[in-house]
Order: sequence, then structure tokens, then C-alpha cells
Amino acid sequence: MRFRILFKLAARSVGRNARRSALTAAAMVLGLALLIFSRSLAEGAHEQWVTSAVRMGSGHVAIQEPSYLVSGKLEHRIGAKAYQRALNAVAAVAGDRVVAHAPRLTVTGLASSASSALPVRVEGVDPDGERIFSDLDEKVVDGRYLQPDDRLHAYIGVELARRLGLKVGNRFVLTAQSASGDVEGQLVRVAGIFKTAIPEMDEGLIHIPIETAREWLGTPGAITTHAVLLKSSRDTDGVVEELQDRLAGDSDLRVLGWREASPELDSALRMDDYGDYVFHSILFAIVALAIMNAVMMSVLGRRREFGVLQALGLTGAETGWVVFGEGLFLTVASGAVGMALGFLFTWVFFRDGLDFSGIAESESAWASAGGIVDPVIVPIFHSSQVLLSLYFTLIIGTLASIYPAMRASKLDVAEAMKFDQ
Amino acid sequence: MSTSNGTLAVRTKDVWKIYPQEPNPVKAVRGVSLEIESGDFVAMAGPSGSGKTTVLNLLGGLTRPTEGSIWIGGDEITSMPDKALARLRLERIGFVFQAYNLLPVLSAMENAEFTLLLRGVPASERHKRVRALFDEMGLEGLEDRFPGKLSGGQQQRVAVARAVVGEPALVLADEPTANLDSVASSALLDIMERLNREHGTTFVFSTHDPRVMARARRLITLVDGEISTDVRQNHETSGA
Repeated sequence: MRFRILFKLAARSVGRNARRSALTAAAMVLGLALLIFSRSLAEGAHEQWVTSAVRMGSGHVAIQEPSYLVSGKLEHRIGAKAYQRALNAVAAVAGDRVVAHAPRLTVTGLASSASSALPVRVEGVDPDGERIFSDLDEKVVDGRYLQPDDRLHAYIGVELARRLGLKVGNRFVLTAQSASGDVEGQLVRVAGIFKTAIPEMDEGLIHIPIETAREWLGTPGAITTHAVLLKSSRDTDGVVEELQDRLAGDSDLRVLGWREASPELDSALRMDDYGDYVFHSILFAIVALAIMNAVMMSVLGRRREFGVLQALGLTGAETGWVVFGEGLFLTVASGAVGMALGFLFTWVFFRDGLDFSGIAESESAWASAGGIVDPVIVPIFHSSQVLLSLYFTLIIGTLASIYPAMRASKLDVAEAMKFDQ
Repeated sequence: MSTSNGTLAVRTKDVWKIYPQEPNPVKAVRGVSLEIESGDFVAMAGPSGSGKTTVLNLLGGLTRPTEGSIWIGGDEITSMPDKALARLRLERIGFVFQAYNLLPVLSAMENAEFTLLLRGVPASERHKRVRALFDEMGLEGLEDRFPGKLSGGQQQRVAVARAVVGEPALVLADEPTANLDSVASSALLDIMERLNREHGTTFVFSTHDPRVMARARRLITLVDGEISTDVRQNHETSGA
């Protein structure tokens, strides 16, 4: 096989038939550029979603008592000594991957006011630590967030306040099963009301100072979760691994990544990814058909030329290689241009984010699985995703060139020579 | 003056080419048997649809006969595998087409040297041979031009150069002057006659052109796929 000559012919053909090549390449360039834009937008949305959910939940990494994830019961709490070991392990995590970490003492119970009683999730938090960790303090619509010297104060969701008929300064009673197994009540006063647009939080979350929660529930120095916030969700696996190594012999502590600690968020992201894959598959199919159509048209339009090549001494297979080579050149060139265009387009027009607020009826439309996506989505590039997109485009381009190449290789030379160009 | 040397360049025996077509199959070539000596200068004439091009395609191994056998320089090509047939075309047969059929992506020089390139002839040797032919054919200075920038006559001369540069034993030319004016036609025939005379290359044409017929040393006439007449231009006739 005279590959050098065949590929020279293919390269020349791509170069000399500029309009045809440009049209074929345009399909691939647009496909890949759209793919990169769409992937970077999806990555940006996912990162926002995860960050929002982990900041309002149990962090990128959660340290809990081994049975707490399943039971959710106070009896499966972390004692003061184990908590100190967890703190030491988090403090020793290498690099600057840990942005913040905060203790939580969480219990489910009942909130009762003069007008109603509703089930709630009460989180005892360290007000200072929580301000850094979560952005719940920024969601205040009335009153204020908790302060370090607060004792009997509560920060509650807007929908809960409405249903219980509470305003800032009103008192209400929290009731839950304490460490001793008895049902204990705690009178608290509304310090502030927040609105997150996440229904389950606005309807059922209450923050109180962790010391108040410990006294109320009879769990001095205890926590149920130590939540760790990381610089990027992509650091999760590495930090989980490192903490698991550091706490390997500690049977009181279990280190969980957010996917494990928040399975509903993991499922929601997977569903979203699945939707993306379907969209991308359709996009790939369109690109593949466009390439195949363009290369096929080029083959059918140049039957006489391929007939001449065979009359001059090329074999059918070699003629097929010329066509395949053309497809390959177009694919490689288009892949490079498409990737550059995708980056450029996303970077130039959307580096500050793409505002989708106009297409959602309400804020809650952006909330799901314990997290909320800001309607202004900032695209994020991950080299692995971009390379994967490029890789798939190259495969699609290559596969789409096979059929036209086979057609060219099986050409009836005498018939092809009759073809009027 | 004949340059035929008595050995056979081409032999066919009862060759038929039938195209299956409903309701009536088309019998394009009907039992053609002929022998063409090496170094001959043969024209095949006949009305449109008489089977001239099909016979040339059969001789060049571009299509296979429905029945019968064909020998090129002693090798039976009817049952030859495709790859071997491609090799035989490359090394022993040159083609000149009515529509020139130069490869549009290659320059005149690259078109002319294409078969040598496929045969692995070194670049210096290729260029030497093509330049010599170009000088001989009045194409000097046009080496780097692409087909679209050449006149019809120039393109056909490049096509002839491509056909003969590998010194094939046989050149098959399908109506080579059909798209040329009388001056260009005459010049092209001069070149082909000279190549035939000086290199001993066997030429077989299909043609409608009386000037080509007049200059052929042997004139075969086809009618409805059959040889109607086969005339030596020195008036020697071998019959149908």
C-alpha cells in the first residue's frame, strides 16, 4: 500500500476543494464547539449546584459516626474526644484544598407555636464557623443570622415562619428526643428568617447555637456531623482518601464524600448527566450524518476522478484509503478548529456567566436535591471533558468516513468513467 | 512505415459484454475476436453505441467480459485478480481519455509523473523523464500549472504524457481528439505517431474523427458491438 501517495492525494484534495471541505468541516466545527460550550455550561451548573448543596448540607466531605448516615439518630453521634480527633485530621489535610469546616448537631423534631406544630430539622451550629461555611446567613429576609453570644435564638425558614405564624422576636418551642431517650422541649426566640428558594429548607430547617442544642439534648461536646467545605468538588475524592487514611483505625468515625452523604444530590446530578448524554448523542449523530453526507456527496460527485485513479493503477482498496484519508484530514483539522472555537466562544461571550433568569418562572425552579443553581451559570472547562469531546468527535469523523471509503473502493471503474463531472 | 514487430500486444477471443437490463439485456460487444501486433497504430471507428469504448475498457481491464478471453502481451486478464489487474494497468497500459481526466488536485508535472510515482520511481528520474516528454510535446514551462489553468489541447498532451511516461506496451485512447480543434488534434496525432514510431508503443484509439482514421495504419470498424470491417490502411484487409 502506497500510503504516502494516497495521503498526499487526500490532503491535496481537501486543500484544493476548499468550499466542499469548508462545508464538511463546518458541521464538525459547530458540533464540537457546541459540545464544548454545552459541556462547560453543564460543568458550571453542576459545580454551582454541588457547592450550593454541600454548603447548605454536610459539606463536600462529612465526618460522622459510622451508623449515623443510615439511622440519622442522635444516639449515633460523635463524642467530644472523637470530634477532637476529627478536627485534628481535618487540620492536617495537605494543601489549601479545605476552605472551611464546621460542626453540626442535627436532630429531627417538632416546632410548635401558638397556632401550629410542624416537623422540622434542627441544626445546632457554630455561628461564626457557619458564616464562613454556609451562605445561609446571606439569605436573611427579616432579622439577622445567629451570633456567637446567642443562646436561645433560632434562625428559621420563611415558609416555616409563615405556617407557624412567627415573626422576628416571637418565641416557639422545639421538641425532640434527647440523648437519654426522653422527649425534651426547648423554648427559643426567632432571631431571623431566611429564604433559600429550596422548599425543604424554607419549610423545615432551623439553625440554633450548637451549645444550646447540646444542653437541650444532653450531649455535651458532641456533634452528629463535621462538615468540610473544599475549594472544588473535584478535590473530594482526594480529601476523602486522605482523611480515611488518617482516621483508618478510628472505629468511631466515618469519612464520606458528598456523593455518599447526599445520595439524592448524586442521583439528581446523574439524571442531569444522563440528559446531557442523550443531548450529546443526538448532537454526535447529527455531526456524524453531516460528515458522512458531505464525504459521500464528495465521493459520488468525483466518481470519474476515482475511476481515473483506478485506471491509472490504484487498487480499489487504495482508492478507498484516499477517501478515508480525506475524511481523516477533515476530522483532525475540524476537531482542532472546533475545539479552539468552542473555547473562544465560551470564553469571550460567557466567561462572566450566562444569565438564564429570564426563562424560569420562580427562584425555586432552580432548586433541586438540596441545592440551588444560580440562574447565572459560569461555564467551567475541565480538560478531561474537552479531550473526551475531541476524542469522540475524532471517532465520529473517522467512522463517518468509512462508508464513503468503502463505496469508493467498490467503484465500477468503467461505469465511473462514464460519469459526467 | 509500420513499426509492428510481429508479437501480439493484444488478443481477444469471442469476447462478449452483456449488460443485464430489464426487459432486454444490452449486448454491447458481441463475439469480438482480434489480434493487435505490438507497435501497431490502430483506430476503432463506428457510430455511437457501436461498442468502441466498451472494447477499450475490456482491453484495459477496466471491465470484465461476460464471455470470452483477453490477453495482454500474453497474459490472460479475464480471470486475473483485481490487484494484479491494477498492477498490469499501472505497468503495461496507458490510458488517454476523451475528457482528459487529469487529476485536478495535481499539477501538470505531478499528473504526468503519477504512474511513475505509483511505481516507486525516484523523484529525480521521474522529473527527468517528464521534462523530456514535456519538451518533446511542447509543454515546457507548464509543469507547475494545475489542469484548470491549461487549455484543452495542453491538458490532452499532459494526459498523453501521463499515458506514455511509464513506457507501457499499450496505450488505449478513447476519442482523444474529440474535444480538440483541428490544429490541436493534428499536433496531438503527430506526437502519438512519433511516440509510436520512436518508442514502439502500441496505440489503439476509438474515434469518430476522420483525420485520426486516416492516419491509423489499421482501421477496425464496429457496428452494433461486432467488428464490421478490419482494414490495413495499406489496403490489406483481414475480414470481419
